[in-house]
Amino acid sequence: MRLSGAGYLIKQGVRNILNNNIASVATFCVLTVSLLIVGFTGLFSLNINTFISGVEDKNEVVIFLADDADEEYIEELGNKLRADENISEVIFWSKEEALDGIKADMNDAEDIFGYIDENPLPDAYRIKIKDITRMSSTLYAINSYSHIEKVKAPYDFVNILTGLKSAITAVSILILISLALVSFVMISNITRASVETRHREIAIMKFVGATDSFIKIPFFIEGLVLGIMAGVVASLLTFAGYDRLIALLSTETTLFAAMGSSGFIPLESFMWQLAAIYVGIGAVLASIGTVASVKKHVKV
Amino acid sequence: MIELKNVSVTYKNGVDALNDVSLKINDGEFAFVVGESGAGKSTLIRLLTREVRADDRADVKSVIKVNGFDLIKMKQRDVHKLRRTIGFVFQNFMLIDSMTVYDNVAFVLRCIDAPTKYIRKRVPQVIGLLGLQEKINRYPGELSGGEQQRVALARALVNNPQLIIADEPTGNLDPRTSVEIVKLLKEINDRGTTVLMVTHEHELVKRMGGRLINIRKGEISFDDRI
Ligand SMILES: Nc1ncnc2c1ncn2[C@@H]1O[C@H](COP(=O)(O)OP(=O)(O)O)[C@@H](O)[C@H]1O
Ligand SMILES: [Mg+2]
Repeated sequence: MRLSGAGYLIKQGVRNILNNNIASVATFCVLTVSLLIVGFTGLFSLNINTFISGVEDKNEVVIFLADDADEEYIEELGNKLRADENISEVIFWSKEEALDGIKADMNDAEDIFGYIDENPLPDAYRIKIKDITRMSSTLYAINSYSHIEKVKAPYDFVNILTGLKSAITAVSILILISLALVSFVMISNITRASVETRHREIAIMKFVGATDSFIKIPFFIEGLVLGIMAGVVASLLTFAGYDRLIALLSTETTLFAAMGSSGFIPLESFMWQLAAIYVGIGAVLASIGTVASVKKHVKV
Repeated sequence: MIELKNVSVTYKNGVDALNDVSLKINDGEFAFVVGESGAGKSTLIRLLTREVRADDRADVKSVIKVNGFDLIKMKQRDVHKLRRTIGFVFQNFMLIDSMTVYDNVAFVLRCIDAPTKYIRKRVPQVIGLLGLQEKINRYPGELSGGEQQRVALARALVNNPQLIIADEPTGNLDPRTSVEIVKLLKEINDRGTTVLMVTHEHELVKRMGGRLINIRKGEISFDDRI
């Protein structure tokens, strides 16, 4: 392809946008709105998940060891726990430390424990679970080891969090996929109208011997330009709206109030990635959508 | 050159549009194709431009050759190469209303990615050849039917085709203008381009003379000089 040829095709693409301004505006609006919904759904689920992960981190399972566990066995168990890929942290918590902890917490502990010769508390391991959705299988494995008195885990808490997390992820994915489909179909229908009006032009291109790709390129460029524009506008709107939305949500809604405005992911940390995703999705959806609507006409 | 041997076309709906047609048109010839409506004239043309394909039958070996291309063997992605050697003229002119005369003609060269320099030189030359210099910046809507068809002729000629195919080019024109257009086609033919013109106006054909191919119910019923 010559440089002048490429220039001509780009000019045609831009000309198409200007000549079909109703279709162009409609495509642009559908895209921008879709991108905004996609963006805010994504940001919502990201924020909730970060919030949940923060809570997860504070969460701890305590494994109390039986009295008859000797030092060698304790050592061995510790290694087994460290080898588990779903356990992120393993801290041995001796009965002495446990007792000191209690003593420190209670003012009159000396009085109570002063008379006891032998420490009644068990040795323990305090561990952190990496992925709480797989907590139960990890705990099941731990329970099968010998010399374990008791495993204390925050089951209810974990169940609620895991449920919430997977529900939010599922809903977000559903929204994203259906939105992508809906906007793709809408765009190819909108452009279909403008393709119909250019039916004669396409027919002429066919009989003078233009290649199929030459015929499609202006439509592709038309979609690309609209998609990029929609991506840029959606980015600007998100940049402008995100902080305000956080302020609003954290004063008005209890769930978000619990997060506090500092619990949200700051705009600066994702704005360029978000803009890139917007422009990327916009460009891909719009260009494929427009080209799909030409296909039928190009076939002779 | 056009060469057909034992070619039949059956449309998907079962219509037998061409039936075992054989035909040879040499380079530099001028041939009229006549026949009643529905006889298969347009199908013959669509066959030559590879818009429709010949029936693929085991018992006969069909041949379709146009300007050195073997249309039976040709791959779909090469069809544009064939079309670049043919100039087309239609009954309804098929001009782009939103483009000037210049741009309508230049469109062909742009579509095949010709150099800008060449486009700037070649387009006014062809427009001049058809006597349209004065109209070069006009839009099709501002021209008479005869003028529009001359623009279409300029467009058909601009890429120096070996063959011009005109499907009822005078169908929308008054008799005087029709003669004028056919005379232009003859002039083009005199310079070496093969011309195939479909028409149902027998008067015009008789007046101009030359080779006449008559199609009747999908078969060639007459092929001779008159
Ligand atoms: N695309 C098509 N599909 C099915 N039948 C067609 C198609 N085009 C033409 N025909 C039929 O094929 C026959 C020949 O048509 P055509 O070649 O257009 O005739 P002409 O140009 O001589 O009027 C007619 O019976 C017509 O109805
Ligand atoms: Mg016809």
